[in-house]
Amino acid sequence: MKKQKPLTLLIFLGPMLLIFLGLNVYPIVKTVAMSFFHIKGITDPVSKWKFTGLWNYNKLLHTSLFQRSLLNMGKIWLYGGLAIITLSLLFAVMLTRNIRFKRFFKTVIYLPYIVSAVALSAMWLQYVYNPQFGLLKKLFTALHLDGLASTPWTDADHKFMSMMVAYCFGMIGYFMLIWFSGITRISPELKEAARIDGASRLQADRYITLPLLKGIFKTILTMWTISVAGFFTWSQLFSTDGAELSTITPTVYMYSLIYGTGGTTDDRQAGMGAAVGIILSICTVIVFMLCNRLIKEEDLEM
Amino acid sequence: MTGKKPHKRFDSAVKDGLRNLPGYLILGAWCAFTLYLLSWVVAASFSTTKEIFSGNVFAMSSGVHFENYVSAWTTSKVSVFFGNSILYTAVTLVGSIAICAPASYALARFRFRGNRLIQVILVASMSVPGIMVILPLFQLVARAGVMNNAAANRVVLILLYIGTKIAYTTIFLYNFFTGLSYSYEEAAAIDGCSPVRAFWQIMLPMAKGGIATVSIFNFLGVWNEYFMSLIMAGSDKVKPVAIGLHSLINSMKYTGNWAGMFAAVVIVTLPCIILYLCLSEKIIGGVTGGVKG
Repeated sequence: MKKQKPLTLLIFLGPMLLIFLGLNVYPIVKTVAMSFFHIKGITDPVSKWKFTGLWNYNKLLHTSLFQRSLLNMGKIWLYGGLAIITLSLLFAVMLTRNIRFKRFFKTVIYLPYIVSAVALSAMWLQYVYNPQFGLLKKLFTALHLDGLASTPWTDADHKFMSMMVAYCFGMIGYFMLIWFSGITRISPELKEAARIDGASRLQADRYITLPLLKGIFKTILTMWTISVAGFFTWSQLFSTDGAELSTITPTVYMYSLIYGTGGTTDDRQAGMGAAVGIILSICTVIVFMLCNRLIKEEDLEM
Repeated sequence: MTGKKPHKRFDSAVKDGLRNLPGYLILGAWCAFTLYLLSWVVAASFSTTKEIFSGNVFAMSSGVHFENYVSAWTTSKVSVFFGNSILYTAVTLVGSIAICAPASYALARFRFRGNRLIQVILVASMSVPGIMVILPLFQLVARAGVMNNAAANRVVLILLYIGTKIAYTTIFLYNFFTGLSYSYEEAAAIDGCSPVRAFWQIMLPMAKGGIATVSIFNFLGVWNEYFMSLIMAGSDKVKPVAIGLHSLINSMKYTGNWAGMFAAVVIVTLPCIILYLCLSEKIIGGVTGGVKG
């Protein structure tokens, strides 16, 4: 580490800080401010804003559509999270075993993650779930499961489930890789050293492997929470008219509040849209804090 | 003795195989499904809508229909969206490296007040939902009338993409620079080379690997970006592939051109798939690089 002249620092850091301040810090601060004002149209001049304190928040929390969107998000986080975290861990553990075609498995399982959500959801909606020539329809017909074969996977009752399955299918490879790199980073020497020091195999697992995996689990939970908080594309693609009760998430709700699409809100409310963002952020912070509280990471240099 | 040894080895190989059988079955089934799904879409894109509905796209009984691609590319204007996305990703990649690489180098090497604070804020900003930044920016842009001007709208979109990638790129490259040896800059400094020159001529070329990895992820991120583009792209002329594909899917569903729709899906996905197949090792290795050192 060296000390540098202020000018040198400015040359190196200036452009990044400028863009960061302009495109990240400034908008965040302004969004927070907007959430305390009654603003109808997003482009309304500041002179037409009316300070209403916590009114936006109060109104939002008493709006059934917003409550539903929070509930949907919670369901995605919990059920999708359980499915994704256990399945990706299972895959990662299998891949650390002494098996063949490791590279092939890893490559193919991660593959859907790099496909855009629009293309991937088209594959699921237009093909897998298609009631006429869909993959599920053909599969269940071949298995003579007529009840399942005639299930309308994308009607209001099944849509949420179908959306979650398709979304998790695309995400699993990413979490598998994080687990995998975490598990392989636990050096066998560490465990060996513990064994030489007289620890049993079980003790070595309990005191070496598990604490290290806890840290990865926390990382995974954080990444999962971030992606669920920004859940927009899939919900929008799975609903037929902008925002639908069964699949609506807070971000989609915000979109309809500001742009008035989908006919879910008769009047546009930009201030309330900003408050949706703040509530979402508070939710993520609460989850992060709970994570830190509940999952104590043992101090171990990796 | 010698006759028994291979037998024993064979035994343990079988045992190993049996113990891993559930693993093979589960991983194999998952991969089979994934590959079948993708190959069905590719096959459908070369067949006709009639064949898709009759349920057999792999037979290609009426030949290979390239015209689906031609119609998607020209009549459905995929070429426009594709060109836009190429432009946006290219400028964003170069721009974000030019802006973030010096900054990440300074954070990794220079001692100054606020260094740690900048890092903490950058990392924290990565977990802020996109919805928190989009409203005020849209406000600015819409008030200035940018959405009605294609060129200005493109500049705004690119700036926005760079803005969303700044924290990730800086932190990723920071992790990379901290792993490089000091000896080169020390030698350069003794030779009277200024820090700025030492960075561009010596350190940046050494960070090639990290720059390539982070650029691949930035490419995938920008190519597939949906939320911000949906709000900020004012006209069909400036839409990137994700938004273009969405409106295209909707219109083709109504006109009943399913084969053309799958062709469009394939075109839009192809760059990512090709990139991935060529660089899968680098991509898979880099996934955790930006997450946590």
